[in-house]
Formats: sequence, structure tokens, C-alpha cells
Amino acid sequence: MHRFEYYAPASLDEAVALLKEHGDGVKLLAGGTDLLVQMKEAGLHPPAVVSLHAVPGLDGIEFDEASGLRIGARVDVASIESNDVTEQRYTALAEGAGIVGSIQTRNMATIGGNIANAAPSADTAPPLAVFDAVAEIIGAGGQREVPVIELFDGPGSTILTTDEVITGFKLPTPPANTGSVYQRHTPRKIMDIAAVSVGIRLSLDNGKIGEARVCLGAVAPTIIRASDAEEALTGQAPTDALFAKAAELAQAASSPISDVRGSAEFRRHLVGVMTKRCLDIALERAQD
Amino acid sequence: MAKLEVHYTINGRKHEAYIEPNLTLLDVVRDDLRLTGSKEGCGTGDCGACTMIVDGKLVTACLMLAPQADGAEITTIEGVAENGTLHPVQQAFLDKGAVQCGFCIPGMILAGKVLLDQNPKPNDYEIREAIAGNLCRCTGYTKIVEAIAAAAEA
Amino acid sequence: MTTYSTVGKPITRVEGSHKVTGDSLYAADIQLPGMLHCKLLRSPHAHARIVGIDASKALALEGVERVITAADLPTFSEKRMSNRGYNLLADDEVVFNGQPVVAVLAETPSIAEEALDLIDIEYEELPAVLDALAAMEDGSPLARKPIMEIDRSEAKGHVSVDVKEERSDKPSNIASQAKFSRGDIDQGIAEADCIVENTWRSAMMHQGYIEPHSTVADFDAASGELTIWSATQGQFFVRDQISNMLRIPETKIRVIGMELGGGFGGKIFLTQTLTAVLAKIAGRPVKLIFTRKDDLQGATPSAGCVVELKTGMKKDGSITVIKAKIVYDSGAFPGASAVVGAILLGGYYRFPNLEIETYEVLTNKVSVGAIRAPGAHNVTFAIESQMDMMARELQLDPLEVRMQNAVSEGDAMPTEVKYPRIGMKECLEAVRDSDLWKSRGTKQNGNGKARGVGLAIGGWLGGLQPASAHVELNGDGTVKVLVGANDISGTNTSFAQIAAEELGLPLEMVSVATGDTKTSPFAGMSAGSKTLFTVGRAVKAAAEDARQQLFDIAAERLEANPDDMESFEGEIRVKGSPDKSIPFRRLAGITTGFGALYPPVVGKGSITARKQAPGFTAQVAEVEVDEETGQVTLLNWGIVQDAGFAINPLSVAGQMQGGATQGIGIGLWEEMVYDDEGKLINDGLLDYRMPTALDVPNIATHIVEVPSEEGPYGARGVGEPSIIPGAAAISNAVEDAIGVRVTEAPITPERILRAMGKI
Ligand SMILES: Cc1cc2nc3c(=O)[nH]c(=O)nc-3n(C[C@H](O)[C@H](O)[C@H](O)COP(=O)(O)OP(=O)(O)OC[C@H]3O[C@@H](n4cnc5c(N)ncnc54)[C@H](O)[C@@H]3O)c2cc1C
Ligand code: FES
Ligand code: FES
Repeated sequence: MHRFEYYAPASLDEAVALLKEHGDGVKLLAGGTDLLVQMKEAGLHPPAVVSLHAVPGLDGIEFDEASGLRIGARVDVASIESNDVTEQRYTALAEGAGIVGSIQTRNMATIGGNIANAAPSADTAPPLAVFDAVAEIIGAGGQREVPVIELFDGPGSTILTTDEVITGFKLPTPPANTGSVYQRHTPRKIMDIAAVSVGIRLSLDNGKIGEARVCLGAVAPTIIRASDAEEALTGQAPTDALFAKAAELAQAASSPISDVRGSAEFRRHLVGVMTKRCLDIALERAQD
Repeated sequence: MAKLEVHYTINGRKHEAYIEPNLTLLDVVRDDLRLTGSKEGCGTGDCGACTMIVDGKLVTACLMLAPQADGAEITTIEGVAENGTLHPVQQAFLDKGAVQCGFCIPGMILAGKVLLDQNPKPNDYEIREAIAGNLCRCTGYTKIVEAIAAAAEA
Repeated sequence: MTTYSTVGKPITRVEGSHKVTGDSLYAADIQLPGMLHCKLLRSPHAHARIVGIDASKALALEGVERVITAADLPTFSEKRMSNRGYNLLADDEVVFNGQPVVAVLAETPSIAEEALDLIDIEYEELPAVLDALAAMEDGSPLARKPIMEIDRSEAKGHVSVDVKEERSDKPSNIASQAKFSRGDIDQGIAEADCIVENTWRSAMMHQGYIEPHSTVADFDAASGELTIWSATQGQFFVRDQISNMLRIPETKIRVIGMELGGGFGGKIFLTQTLTAVLAKIAGRPVKLIFTRKDDLQGATPSAGCVVELKTGMKKDGSITVIKAKIVYDSGAFPGASAVVGAILLGGYYRFPNLEIETYEVLTNKVSVGAIRAPGAHNVTFAIESQMDMMARELQLDPLEVRMQNAVSEGDAMPTEVKYPRIGMKECLEAVRDSDLWKSRGTKQNGNGKARGVGLAIGGWLGGLQPASAHVELNGDGTVKVLVGANDISGTNTSFAQIAAEELGLPLEMVSVATGDTKTSPFAGMSAGSKTLFTVGRAVKAAAEDARQQLFDIAAERLEANPDDMESFEGEIRVKGSPDKSIPFRRLAGITTGFGALYPPVVGKGSITARKQAPGFTAQVAEVEVDEETGQVTLLNWGIVQDAGFAINPLSVAGQMQGGATQGIGIGLWEEMVYDDEGKLINDGLLDYRMPTALDVPNIATHIVEVPSEEGPYGARGVGEPSIIPGAAAISNAVEDAIGVRVTEAPITPERILRAMGKI
């Protein structure tokens, strides 16, 4: 790694001030599992690194029925994977968190880093999106909240300004009779990056689909919601034919590229297969 | 670039180093503190050869910036045996013929130890899950899985 | 059958616990006072002329000691420069993306790394040749200057074959070629009831050792002595090469083969000369450790290969013909084992009519080197898949068809050299009896997932090299074995077993040390499945020699005839009269104490190995294929291998499991992927996918023992065969499961879906 100035601010204000002072090129450091790889092997050489490890207020997974779930940005994904509330109520998120890298990676990788890094394959992004998660952001200009699905504007790029920090994520309480799932396709079972990923949430209402979320990863420059599929599902009674239709619409929404993880045709094919399978699983879970 | 002082408790003993911040915990432990049992196989979190236990958690030290671990309690492979007695996982690796070149072994043993600390009777699949972040190119894993299972019985 | 007391027993490693406590020293663990760190700037182009190098900014960086280019290095004749080993840094022209051009020496690795970014190199790009088949066509641009000489000394460490290679007379990208023929191809085709013809592709892949290339060098100007600490499978080979290249006498070079973090053929000789030269120039010790990216981009991976194969079979299962063209992509320097590939492709079965052409073709990619059984997995994927296809078409049993046509003692290889006694049929018999094989077709498929079982065999001829060893009696009656072969797979444990066996000692009384090139007797490289086969024989001879010396001394003391002596449980005694004996401890006293009556006991063993002992394996894969995603899950894996005689069954099984897992990697995931410009895209271990513990099942092993003629106790080389048949076994299992054939390895989900016509 090239040299850089290192800061470990003790408060959010201090962190934001440092970011503002250093401007372009300064990098926030959380778990380091993306940043250090980029600094070692991908030619990223920030002149300054601001570590979040001593900043208070970024921890904790809290849930209450009225306000929903809040996850601090610095929470490692291993803690999200093994949390009872996420496992039961936000299953897709526990699944996404549980599939990141290895045990070692998951102990270090934070959810804030996973989102801010903005990989279209980020495994917590589709799960957050299907629960309509909102990111809490603080910057020199004050605080704001942005839905996770609107955070990304390209591969590796977010709408955050250089002085902004994500402090946490808020996920509304899912309606009763909700089932969710997250799956990805990778050649290896683990230690791999999604070629295609699918997050689904179905919330049933009197046997019909009250709310549907279909979010795809790694098949477009950012994660995307397959809105046509969601619309087609909403208000309908779940049937095989309906799910097949929704899978087709999801396929149509995807715009994958060909790269080392798979060709565009392969990925589009998988979007169909996996969306259908995930819909079946989400339904089963919603009915449980 | 300002140098800074870091303090670690490694295998129960206090260490300090005066370092530049662009080093990883692995660099400092291997090069400055001369505990070379932890290995670097990739430097990017993919192989697990650099595995250490930091504040109770298994991590890849090649991706942990040295100053971030300031103040941490760290266990490396050198601290697994106690008073010259091998840990059951270490002993089982020898007994089962699970060691070939040895380069992955420090990380494997730490991963196996943390697993057994948390789950004293893991099944085969749980063992494989626990070491999935540790690549071994020599053994094909079968004897490593057997060794960890045997250590659980010990 | 002879019974043994120590050899043939599963014994855990004797060399102590240092590998589980972190105390073993690997090359990267060496730290010397005043040591400089080296980083290499590599070419970003596959083929270009170097117009100019400006290192002034790098030199200005504090902590940078030297910036070295080819201009600072010794020069070699143009002939020599045809070989990778002599190209320390690129001079004038770069021929692959990732080729080292500049070496920076700095006080810390990170300063060296930062300096790399400050070096400006101006390149003039030249046409890059990236596809081996296209490279063979008339009119293809040339990947590099014509090859003037090929040094095969390293390759010979892996396999010994004596075939004349030809080189083309006009400039071309074909580095070498050979052709084998027998019988009448047209007749073989006419006689066949079934002809199968396919093109088989297998990717360039990496040996995947977890320890990257590492070397530390120190040159002492006053004495002219060079010391090298290195991760190498062949310390003597390194010494000899450096001596040749730098004209330093071998007496002044000390190569210390450190504990080796995996080699698999890929870690013999690569960075040692450069590091030595840099240390000499800088007048300080130099450490050169590859990053993983360095290693993937710029070491010596295993060749990719295309096999065009036509084979024929009669209804009764007998094979009639093989016609093939093999093209290995050797990268920018010679290094692919084209001849061996041809010998194996046509050498597993008794083909009456045969015509095989084989080519080693140059492209602008990193040049390849050996791997476990270099070249073998590529051709085995082709022939072993095609054997199944013919059997399937003729509705014959794939195992029985192999049995029927298998080579055995006296059958000819494509070179017309006759096989000695081999165990291929014995391996197949063991498979036939296995539950896994018998379970074919019995389990139900369901929920879009299909199950299949596949079989493939593989064989390796083995390397031959002379070797030597010493066995000495210590002052306390214990025994020391000294060898010069790097222990890369537990061979030292087997050596201890051999010495203990021959001397009738308990294993605890024997220790084995691997010395460096200054202190230990000569050994060839630990490669070619021959360490035990050759050095083991030397140890056995040395132990026998020591035993004879002990017999002579004991006989004199006991007033008996040396021929009546035997060695038993730490004593030498007169056969049949256990009370007439002398313990080793006493013998040690009278050979090493002050005023000793007898000279010290030092047994010497020197052997030269002339007869290969080919090793065969048969492996069975059970897979489950997801018909919608193409995902393959391995359910079971079984490997049978002929070890000749398993001196240590535990370590033989370990070798089998490790090799089989690499073969599985080749079959399902491992592939170095290059873009249109010749740049490696997957240059890290997240995208260069080696199997994790979750990707492979437990690997069941079964050892068969068909003794070899020369090996100690009949042992054969066991290191290499296990890697060979993985891709073929998977390909056969996948066809068994879903009825389609994938002709390209790795057999990825995408390739399966394409073969199924789903995308
Ligand atoms: C071996 C390995 C395997 C991996 N496997 C997966 C995988 O399977 N799935 C997957 O999705 N990812 C994977 N990753 C990538 C990575 O682990 C995750 O993206 C991780 O969640 C990143 O979190 P971090 O805390 O380590 O981020 P860091 O590396 O610390 O930061 C990442 C980026 O986010 C910024 N950042 C961090 N925190 C904040 C914040 N609070 N506010 C604003 N910006 C911030 C940083 O400046 C940086 O640009 C893998 C990485 C490795 C090394
Ligand atoms: S060296 Fe840290 S994971 Fe490979
Ligand atoms: S023993 Fe060599 S990598 Fe595991």
C-alpha cells in the first residue's frame, strides 16, 4: 500500500470535518475488506484514510415493532447473519449477510461498507432494498435519509458526497405474513462474488400478494428493482403461472454484461430460473 | 506520513510497535514483532493463511490495517499451544496426517480452534463451513476435516 | 509376501510439530540485517517494444535504493535468451503481459511498491498473438523472436522421455513438434463400428501453491560467496543454473531450500538468479516475494491445450484407431510438455493404428511450466471422455471397455518403448468392486437435479534422476539420515521408515535432515513423482551400507561371521542366538568415542535410476447436476491408485486426495482468463477459483500395490497421477446425469447450459 495520512476520529462530527477538509480522494475505512483490496491491488491510492473504528453511534442492531429495525453502519455482517430478529423477520437480509466471503470476511465486513462500496453484486444490497431500507446519512451539510435503492449511480459509485458518512439503515417492520429470500449464483459454494443475485419479499394479504419486491443484483450497473414483475405480482393470488410470468418480467428488466463471471445470456437465463425459485421460497415462507 | 505507536496483546504478552500506518496487522506481526507463524498467501483476504483471532473473532490479518487493531487482544498460531502442550486441534492435525506443506496450517488450526470453542461437536458440514475461508492446496481437505472431528472427540 | 516392521505402516510425520506451531521457517520468514525489498514492474502489454524507461522520479523517492533494468544485468547469448530462465528482466521487447521489466530495491516493501508507480516506460505496441491455433497458421504474426535453443533440463526433472523434437525451419510460432505413428489409420477407421471425433479444450491453469514465489539472496563480496534462501523444489538445480548463468563456481553457492509452501511443479527455478544478481549489484541482501497477483500474472502456470481427437471402436469393444492433433499453448517461451502429452494420449490403450501430432506453440501469454504431471490432464480429458462416448454409443460398459483395451506389461507406448509392469488393470478392478461404481443408475433423480457417476483413468511415466544419501550412527546409538531432497510431501518420514526398517530400529531412533547444497549429498528436484522412488532407494542403499559396517564390527566383537548377523530392535546379534548381541548404543561408543576402536559408521547410498515405473490411477466421480442452472455438485469421489508399495499409506493417501482435488479444480473451476489484449482478468484468488472445503466431498482412497522393478520395496512415484483424470471423470459423470457432453474444461454451469441448448 502507498503511504497515506491516517486519522481515527473519536466522533462523527470530527469524522465529517476531516472528510470535508481533505476533500476528493479521502477514504473512509470501516472493515477494510473492500478498501484494502482496492488499495493493494486495484491502484487506489487515497492521500488520507479516515477510520470509523473509534466513532461512537455506528453499532447496534435494534428492533421494535413500531419503528422497525435499525442497523448501525459499522455492524459486521456476521452479527447480522446470526441475529434472531433478522433471521426471523428479515430472512433475506440474514441470508445475504451470511453468504459474504468467509467467516473471516464476515467478521470484518460491515454493512455500511458493503453498501457504500456500491458493487452491483453486494450481497446485502438487494435484501435491504426489498425491505424498503433507508440509509441514514450525515455530512457537512447536515443529515438526510435516502432509500437504499436510490443510493447507487453506477458500479462502485454512490450519490454520497465526499464529506458524507452512512450512519445506519432503517428497515420498516414487515407486514404480517411476509416471506423473503436472497439467493445468488456463484461457481463455488462460498468465497465468491455473485454472477446473478435475487432478493424477493412477498407480503400476503388474505391469500393474495399484498406487496411484492423483486430486486436483482449483478445484472445491471447497479442493483435494480424489477418493477414490472412487482406490479404483475401485486394484488394477485400466487400461482405457478403468475410466478413464471414474473420471472420473465424480471429477466426483461435485467441488462447484464459479459465478464469473467459469466456471459450476458447466461446471466439473463439465471435471472429467470432464480426469480422463479425465489418466488416459490418466499411464498412458502410467507405462508408459514 | 506520521508514524504512530500501536499496542497489542499477542498470545497474552504485551507488544508495542512504532509503525507507519500503511501496514497491515499481518505485516507488523510478522516483520516488526517477528512472529512469522502467520503466513501471507494472497494479501487480499482470499486464502486465510494470515488468519488470526482478534478480540475473539477470526479475521484475515492481511486486510486489517495495523492501527485499527490498536489495543486488541490477538491470538496467533504461536499462542495456541499452552506450556509446550499442543492444543487438541494441533495434535489431531499431526495424528491424522492432515499436514502437508504446512503453509495453510496455522490458519486452519485457528479456524478449527474457534469452531470448537463455539461448537464443541460440529458435524462434517459445519467443519467444512468453518474452514471454507482457508484454502489448502495440498490435502484436498479430507484429512483436515477428520482431524478437526477427532479433536472434537478428544 | 515379505513382512516389514516399519515400512508399509501409516505413520504420522516424524519431523516434529513445528508445522502446527508456526515454527517452521519458509523463505519469506527470513529477515537479514540491511535487507532490501524488491518489487517488479511488469509489462502492461502482451507484446511491445520498450522505447524508453524513465526512473528518475522513483529514484528520488526516499527509501529507494536502486532501480534496475535489463541494461544493468549480465547479458546472455541470443540462444540462451530463447529460454525463460535467462530473461531476468525484459530487454528491448516484452512478450507477455506481466513480464518483469524493472526491479526496484527499497528499504521497505511499500516504498518499493510506491516507486513502481513513479516509473515511466514508453512502449511501442506490437501485434499480440493470443490464440495458439491461430498462431500456427501461415501468415500469423510472430509472438517473439524465433526460438534458437530449448533447454529442457527442468522439464526432465518431471518426466524422462527420449524423443527427438523437431523445430520448423522457417520462422514460426511453433517452438517444437513431434509426430508418432503406427499401423494404418485408414484401415483403423474402416474397421471401426463407431467413430467419435471431437475437439477438446482445457484451460491454462495455475499450480495454486498457497505460498507465493519467495527468495532471499545475499552475496558476500569479500569471499565471493552467494547464499540463497528459497522456496524451491530443487535446490541443486537452482545452484547449477545460477552457477551456469552467473559463472560462479558451485562451491561458492549455497542454496538453502526452505520449508516449501507447495510447489506442484511450479516452484523450481524462477526468481533466484534475479534476486542473486540484485543482491550482488546492491551489495546488500535482497528479498523478493511475489504478491499473489505477481504469481498469477507472471509465474509459470500450466499450459492450456486443444486436442483434436478421432477414435474408433468395434462392436466388441476393441479399439481400432486414434488420430489426433495436440496443440499446447506454451505462452511466450518453450515450456509445454507436448511430447509427453502425445505419449499419454496414445499410451493408455492398445491402439493398433495410431497417428498423433503434437505441437508446442508460442503466444504472447505468460510462459508455462510444469505442474503435477505436466500436460497429462489435458490429453486425458480428451481420451477418457472419448472412451466413454464410444462405449455409450456401442452400449458397452465403460469400465469393461477400458479393461479390454488397457495397456499392460510389454505393450508399446506411442514411442514404441514397452511398458514395464504397471497397475492400470488392478486400479480398474478395484473400481469395479467399489460400492460407488456399483451404485450407478440406482439412485432416483428428482426435483430438476440429475445424478450421474463417471470414471476415468490416468497414468504418469515418472522422472528419473540420480540421488544419494548418508546414514550415520550417532554417539548415542540413534541414526541420522541426511538427504538433499526438499521434503515437499512428507518424504522425510518415509526415509526415516526406510532407514529404521533396514537397521531394525524403532522409528524414534532415526532422524532425517534435509541439508542445503553445501552440506547435503546430491539429490534431484522433488518433482516427477520420483523423490521417494530415487532418493528413497539411495536411503535404503545407505542404510544397507551402514548395516554392513555394523555387522562387520559386531561380528568381530562377537567372534562370529558377519554373514550370520542380523539387526533386531536396536541390537546387532548373531542369528539364532539372541544372547550374543551388541546394542546400537554400544556400537556407537566404540565407533565415535575417544580412542574408539573402529571408525565411525557412515553409510553411503548413491543410485542412478534408469527404469521408469509408471503409476496409474482410476477415479470415480458422483455428481448432481442442476438442470436449470447447470450447477454441478460433487456428491462423492473415489480414487484408486497403484503405489507399487505404499511405504507410508497415510502420506500416499494424502497425496492422492490432494492431487484428486486439484484435478477436480481443473474439471470444474480453474481457468486463467485473458482479455482480447492478453491481460489476465482473474488475477486474484477470488476469481481464480480453487476448491474450498465446501466444494469438495470427502475423498475416499484405495491403494493398490503392483510392485515396480527398481523402487524401494517396489514403491512407485505417487505424487502425480492423482491430478490427471479429474476433468474427464466429471465430464463422464455429467453425461451420465444429463446426457450431454461438455468438451471444454473447466466444465462450468455456463458450458453445461450451452451444451444443453438452454442458452
Ligand atoms: C475475500 C473476500 C470475499 C468477499 N466476498 C463478498 C461477498 O461474498 N459478497 C459481498 O457483497 N462482498 C464481498 N466482499 C466485499 C466486502 O467484504 C464487502 O463489500 C464488505 O461488506 C465491505 O465492508 P467493509 O466494512 O470491509 O468496507 P471497507 O472496505 O472499509 O469500505 C468499503 C467502501 O465503503 C466506504 N465506507 C465504509 N463505511 C462507510 C460508511 N459508514 N459511510 C460511507 N462510506 C463508507 C469506504 O470508504 C470504502 O469506499 C468480499 C471481500 C473479500 C476480501
Ligand atoms: S493472506 Fe490474508 S487471506 Fe490470504
Ligand atoms: S498443507 Fe499445503 S496448503 Fe495446506
